[in-house]
Amino acid sequence: MTDGTFEPDQRLHPTSWLFAVFAFVRQLIVPLAAAAFFGSRDGNPTWLWPVAAVILAAALWKQWFYRYGLGPTGLVIREGLFFRNVRQIDYARIENIDTERSLLHRLLGVAEVRVETSTGGKAEASIQVLGLAAAEELRERVFAARGGEAREHTARKAEDVLLAMSTAEVVKFGLIDNRGLIVVAGVVGFLYEAGVMEVWSVVLRAAVSPELMARLIARGMVIQIALMLIVLLGAVLVLRVLSVALALFTFHGFTLTRVDNDLRTSYGLLTRLSLTLRLQRIQAAHVTQTLLHRVFDRVAVRVDLAGGGASPEAQQQGRGRVRWLAPLAAPNRARELIARALPDVDFTRTTEWQPLSPRAYGRVMRKSAALWSVVGLGFAVMLHALWPFLLIAVGVPISMCYAAMYVRYTRWALQDDALFFRRGWLTRKLVIVPRNRVQVVCLGESPFDRRYRMASLRVDTAGAASPTDQIRIPYLDLEVARELARALETTAAAQTKAAPAEVAGT
Amino acid sequence: MLDQRVDPATVSVWRVETTAIAVFIAFSCAGPLLEDSIVLAVAVFCAVMVISVPLGWWWSKARYERLSYRVDDLGVTIREGVWWWTHKSVPRVRIQHTDVSQGPLQRRYGVATLKLYTAGSRYTKVELEGLRHEDALALRDRLLSKEAQGD
Repeated sequence: MTDGTFEPDQRLHPTSWLFAVFAFVRQLIVPLAAAAFFGSRDGNPTWLWPVAAVILAAALWKQWFYRYGLGPTGLVIREGLFFRNVRQIDYARIENIDTERSLLHRLLGVAEVRVETSTGGKAEASIQVLGLAAAEELRERVFAARGGEAREHTARKAEDVLLAMSTAEVVKFGLIDNRGLIVVAGVVGFLYEAGVMEVWSVVLRAAVSPELMARLIARGMVIQIALMLIVLLGAVLVLRVLSVALALFTFHGFTLTRVDNDLRTSYGLLTRLSLTLRLQRIQAAHVTQTLLHRVFDRVAVRVDLAGGGASPEAQQQGRGRVRWLAPLAAPNRARELIARALPDVDFTRTTEWQPLSPRAYGRVMRKSAALWSVVGLGFAVMLHALWPFLLIAVGVPISMCYAAMYVRYTRWALQDDALFFRRGWLTRKLVIVPRNRVQVVCLGESPFDRRYRMASLRVDTAGAASPTDQIRIPYLDLEVARELARALETTAAAQTKAAPAEVAGT
Repeated sequence: MLDQRVDPATVSVWRVETTAIAVFIAFSCAGPLLEDSIVLAVAVFCAVMVISVPLGWWWSKARYERLSYRVDDLGVTIREGVWWWTHKSVPRVRIQHTDVSQGPLQRRYGVATLKLYTAGSRYTKVELEGLRHEDALALRDRLLSKEAQGD
């Protein structure tokens, strides 16, 4: 390395120690809470003071000896005095520089800067914390150092707002997206852990006295059902309100802008996130449309980024977070945005959708009906009853409907430049993968597939964080699947050779 | 280039491995019965072995028969699977780095596993098991040299 003699000289923001303290406390929260809980029984927790002093000292120590700098070939970070660690991240390897600002960050005018690379999470750096100006400078200088092309663009730096969500849109997002459930689950989980549920049952027993229960029961069936409906409606309403509130907190002021040649999103009410989506790194676009989306005539659009990290440690660090292109947009607008995000793909042509194998319907139907039958028979045997056979009777028509919908809404299309795959009837999902982003193609033949001369095709791309995002086209005729695999293989290899810049990009 | 087979010696490696697994399963089935009756435990042990050892031997052979690979200008293609057949193609330009690894058993029989790492999500690591060690090294070098030429 030519950077051997380079000494980083930039320092962290003077308030960094505060955030370091928070980080330490967050790491130690479980043992600390346990110790405080058990320790509090025998009087005042005097032992807390030395612990606090050690944490404070460690935080100050970290800030004092932390240096970063922009070397000739990469970002250099030096930590520690006795155990010294020097980390170098080549500019070419830096994928994203994201900033995250919680309420405290914003009060102090600082930001936590995350430097992401394409590897699974090792060479990543989190600079905690920098002043806003320093963070912006770092971002600009890193991207400027990336090479001539980027430098050219910085000269005529223009921010071009592609999408700005109004508050009404964010509220709509909250109504559609059932995040309230996550909040409730989280709160219930937390309360349960904290032992509040025990207390709650005591309170409930005291409030709902036996007389009240008796009176309710005496009211008769209609009133009972009405009460239940009211409770259910109330629950749904509360969930929606929570969802909207959560959406407002997370997505307030969502904007998608074009800066130089990259896209940048920033959003959040208290914690403000600013994420860079570099066009070179975008691997695939996902469009989701649930039933509620259709009611509002909207879709949600996400993109996969290389190095977005499917690895568990990356997800723990919150790097697996969703990269929204548009949490909510009208379908036409969404198309334009996707066209911006995937400039290699020609969206002017009409997509020629291909169906699955004509025999797919039979297989899906039989599979589903078999499942219903097994469950029905299982219950019948276990309970020594006849009613489970009803399950089988109901299961067959349901399976037929399901198979018809499944076959009708699962479609794929191969263009010169991209593979399209959509599926789902109630929740419709569309994935668009530029062909030069394909990593591995895997043709699979299960014993059933072989019987029907069919195959399934998996198309692997980088950055598909969850298994549901990965492309698997099932029930293809074997010849069709082979042809498709062959076509994808050749272009995955060939197109990258034509554009060597992409090799580094993926 | 035509599809190539791996080294037949790998069948022995897999046979030893499956036999070891069979012994382990037989022990864990028979172990809890030992307190009740020794005869029953021995009978269960033998029964499990009689079923699983030949199965393992057959499976090792079948796996070898099914496993083939091809290396061409585009990349590496691997066919494998006894019940679930797969046909994986890894484009050469997508190979990030490679490993050649050898377990103690593999070393005894002179075979190795070639691991190809990609930036993908599901197939971040594609393994080709059972190559002769020299062949694995040669193949790795070949992939690396072509990679360098491509850039």
